Amino acid sequence: MKLIFAGILAGLLTTTAAKAEDMVFTSWGGTTQEAQTKSWAEPFTAASGVKVLQDGPTDYGKLKAMVDAGNVSWDVVDVEMDFAIKAAKDGLLEPIDFNAVPKVDLDPRFTTDHAVGSFYYSFVLAWNKGAVSGEPAGWADMFDLKKSPGKRAFYKWSAPGVIEIALLADGVPADKLYPLDLDRAFKKLDTIKSDIVWWSGGAESQQLIASGEAAFGQLWNGRVFALEKDGADVGVTWGQNLTAADVLVVPKGAKNKDAAMKFLAAASSPTSQAKFAEASGYAPINTKAKAEMPADAVKALPDAHVDGQINLDMKYWAEHRDEIATRWYAWQAK
Amino acid sequence: MSVETQQSVATLRMPGGLGGLLPALILIGLFFVVPVLALLLRSVTDPAPGFQNYAALLGDGTYARVFFNTFLVAAVVTSVTVLVAFPVAWMLAIMPPALASIVFGVIVLSMWTNLLTRTYAWMVLLQRTGVINRALMATGLIDQPLPLINNLTGVTIGMVYIMLPFMILPLVGTLRAIDPMTLRAAALCGASPFQAFRRILLPLSLPGVAAGGLMVFVMSLGYFVTPALLGGTSNMMLAEMIAQMIQSLLNWGLGSAAAFILLVVTMALYALQLRLVGVRRATGGV
Repeated sequence: MKLIFAGILAGLLTTTAAKAEDMVFTSWGGTTQEAQTKSWAEPFTAASGVKVLQDGPTDYGKLKAMVDAGNVSWDVVDVEMDFAIKAAKDGLLEPIDFNAVPKVDLDPRFTTDHAVGSFYYSFVLAWNKGAVSGEPAGWADMFDLKKSPGKRAFYKWSAPGVIEIALLADGVPADKLYPLDLDRAFKKLDTIKSDIVWWSGGAESQQLIASGEAAFGQLWNGRVFALEKDGADVGVTWGQNLTAADVLVVPKGAKNKDAAMKFLAAASSPTSQAKFAEASGYAPINTKAKAEMPADAVKALPDAHVDGQINLDMKYWAEHRDEIATRWYAWQAK
Repeated sequence: MSVETQQSVATLRMPGGLGGLLPALILIGLFFVVPVLALLLRSVTDPAPGFQNYAALLGDGTYARVFFNTFLVAAVVTSVTVLVAFPVAWMLAIMPPALASIVFGVIVLSMWTNLLTRTYAWMVLLQRTGVINRALMATGLIDQPLPLINNLTGVTIGMVYIMLPFMILPLVGTLRAIDPMTLRAAALCGASPFQAFRRILLPLSLPGVAAGGLMVFVMSLGYFVTPALLGGTSNMMLAEMIAQMIQSLLNWGLGSAAAFILLVVTMALYALQLRLVGVRRATGGV
């Protein structure tokens, strides 16, 4: 019965079915997936002849439904790293074939048995220059309603980031963040709760800040980079920027596993990673990639802001994902 | 409502009526009954056999609040929709047919536009830096932007707009079926226009209000996109919570249980409504 249910669900959800020799790449849409298509998929198709169909946005429920039903139409999926660790433990992912994917130059922080890094990014403090006077010094400003009035935009889903921001703003030193003191974090968040607007996707976060609907926001650095490129009147504070990563995974039972491994090898190569980083402002996970990038593009990366940078603990999150999420959504609904 | 019931009775009486129903029954069985049973089964087997999912849902203050929010929003949306739809429906009922068909066209046309597009349009209108707030601030009527979005106000505006056609269409049918002579008779007997409305038009239109209201209420209970985009997290509705359980928490057992409770409550309401309407018809009064 479980299988029937999952089968029906997956059947209904399946929108893209790949033919033999084709494969499906799924990511988050928007400017990020555009850059992935141009920097990874198109050169890969030109070199190998394997057509890469694009699908999205990434949906963990859908991924689980496909694997449970044994009808997997996605071959490579861009997911958040904490999910990848948890999903590997739950048996939802294929192990990476490191005979096909050269591992030697990949940043070990973002490489696991079941995942190859996609890119890594920082959560940064972005603000609308028309709505905020002066330059916010750091996350603590987002909790100071007197000094900096206006709405604050935060990431809506339970994920590494907002909890840490609240704790840092409350004075927890960066090296004492973990294990996360959830009571303290939610208490701090309570102080600005009615001034928070939640964004659920990158485009929404860009719209909120660019329009001044929210004065400040916790944004992915690549989304701010795209806004700046478009000439939007936004500023960015890199102090205490929080790094996290997306990784590429192959769902268990993917139909085009060989093509998927070849795609992973191509996408994680220095050239592909350099091209994507230049287009998106997200950092490459191949240590040789930066050598292939123009100097001014390297300056836009999170790597240029290691001073005060904090690495979000993906392993901690993978272990406590469900527990934190349950509390997170309960707190939000209050 | 009454018209529909009579029609289905008529279909049943037709020779071979049951045979004719078979394709529809198979379709409903395959694509509704089977998935619902699977859902029920999952809610008591995932992650382990037992009723722990229901216990978690019913015993937790957060979920109780989400259930309450869901019914509150549906009730508010239904009430406002009835209030807005009634004058429109009445106007449509008494308009010259040529003009009425144009107005009908406009109403139906709005239903053909993509729901997400329409909701985003409301976001642009309602947000703090949106068209409405800017216009009001430019005219000096307000100093601070009104909070029209990310709260109950935003959800109500957005959903009433989407639900209006579902209320207007059944209501026009009922209002058109009312003999205009009854109103003229009331006037001849000395009733003021308000009395005529309250004692003649309103009671006679109640079946239409009930049919449209039930439809709007039930549709509102399960609504996802509009509350998610125009509401805040503190007035989260059940559909959004279920989506979170399925997509983000990957807790399918809990999500199935929540979905099943919503289904049962909706069906109970429908049954209640049928009974109320049935009683009203049986006693021939209101």
